Amino acid sequence: MNEIEYLFAAMIVMALSTYLTRLTPFLLFSPGKENTKLNFVVKNTPPMVMTILVIYMLKEVDYLSTEIFYTLLALAVTVGLQVLKRNALLSIVSGTIVYMFFVQM
Amino acid sequence: MIRAALKTSLPILFGFVPLGIAFGLLFQELNYPWYFASLMGVIVYAGAAQFMAIGLLAAGVGLVEIAMSTFLLNSRHMFYGIAFLESFGSWNLKKFYLIFGLTDETYALMTSINIPKDLNKKSYFFFITLFAQSYWVLGCTIGALSSEILSFNTDGMEFAATALFVVLLIEQWIMVKRLLPFVVGFFSSFIALMFFIEHMLLVAIMISIGSILFFRLINKSHYE
Repeated sequence: MNEIEYLFAAMIVMALSTYLTRLTPFLLFSPGKENTKLNFVVKNTPPMVMTILVIYMLKEVDYLSTEIFYTLLALAVTVGLQVLKRNALLSIVSGTIVYMFFVQM
Repeated sequence: MIRAALKTSLPILFGFVPLGIAFGLLFQELNYPWYFASLMGVIVYAGAAQFMAIGLLAAGVGLVEIAMSTFLLNSRHMFYGIAFLESFGSWNLKKFYLIFGLTDETYALMTSINIPKDLNKKSYFFFITLFAQSYWVLGCTIGALSSEILSFNTDGMEFAATALFVVLLIEQWIMVKRLLPFVVGFFSSFIALMFFIEHMLLVAIMISIGSILFFRLINKSHYE
């Protein structure tokens, strides 16, 4: 196998593995059937996953440097704007600009 | 329809383009032609796994190991599809693509938005997914092409992904208005961070689903 063949094979293997993870629930469960336990999980997973994703994104923040200061500031801008204006784009762009300003200072 | 989906998908643009650029830049260190970075965004389309792959490819590890690492890293996606068993509808090419495109970001976005009643849900999701992947491929391509000539300082742009999840968390709160799932998600994260930091996302999701089912079991009438 030369370099390019190896890369191709790796990509195909990765694509299949990834697709398999995303496909699994559709193979395991059929829609329409009343399954109260599954519905309960479906209803509660998004808020749980969103909480987890936010903590996951923040887990590398260094709490002993100035990073914590501007991270909190950027988060406050994002949260504040989202609560006040409910405009996702505005909240994300504003928070990110504040964050980038301090990172690059 | 397409315009509405484009507008809804825009928050993902700000998360995916900088992340894709970072991937493209790193990928170029492997010295493959630039378009392989784009190709990977097209056929693999998995952020974290693509970053991991750079290290694996550089080390020249075997295909079985690549398959297993990718599967483990992405296994949290197994819990995402259950939210769309109904809305992805019957089996056709659109559904295969919707499943292919079910990333952290599209899952987060599509579970948090209200779709205008006059629009077909499946088609709406289809366009959001298609736009989201376009942003990702665009980012990968820009990164790979500009590894030598990048003039714009993108440091800190990765915060856009955090901001996106924060915004969607607020939207979830407005929709759900019950404290329990958020508290369960919070504590599951910390348990996972303390003991399984390598696989934090997957472990936290499993602990949270286990815990919420436990709460339902001990107080069945209350949660139905």
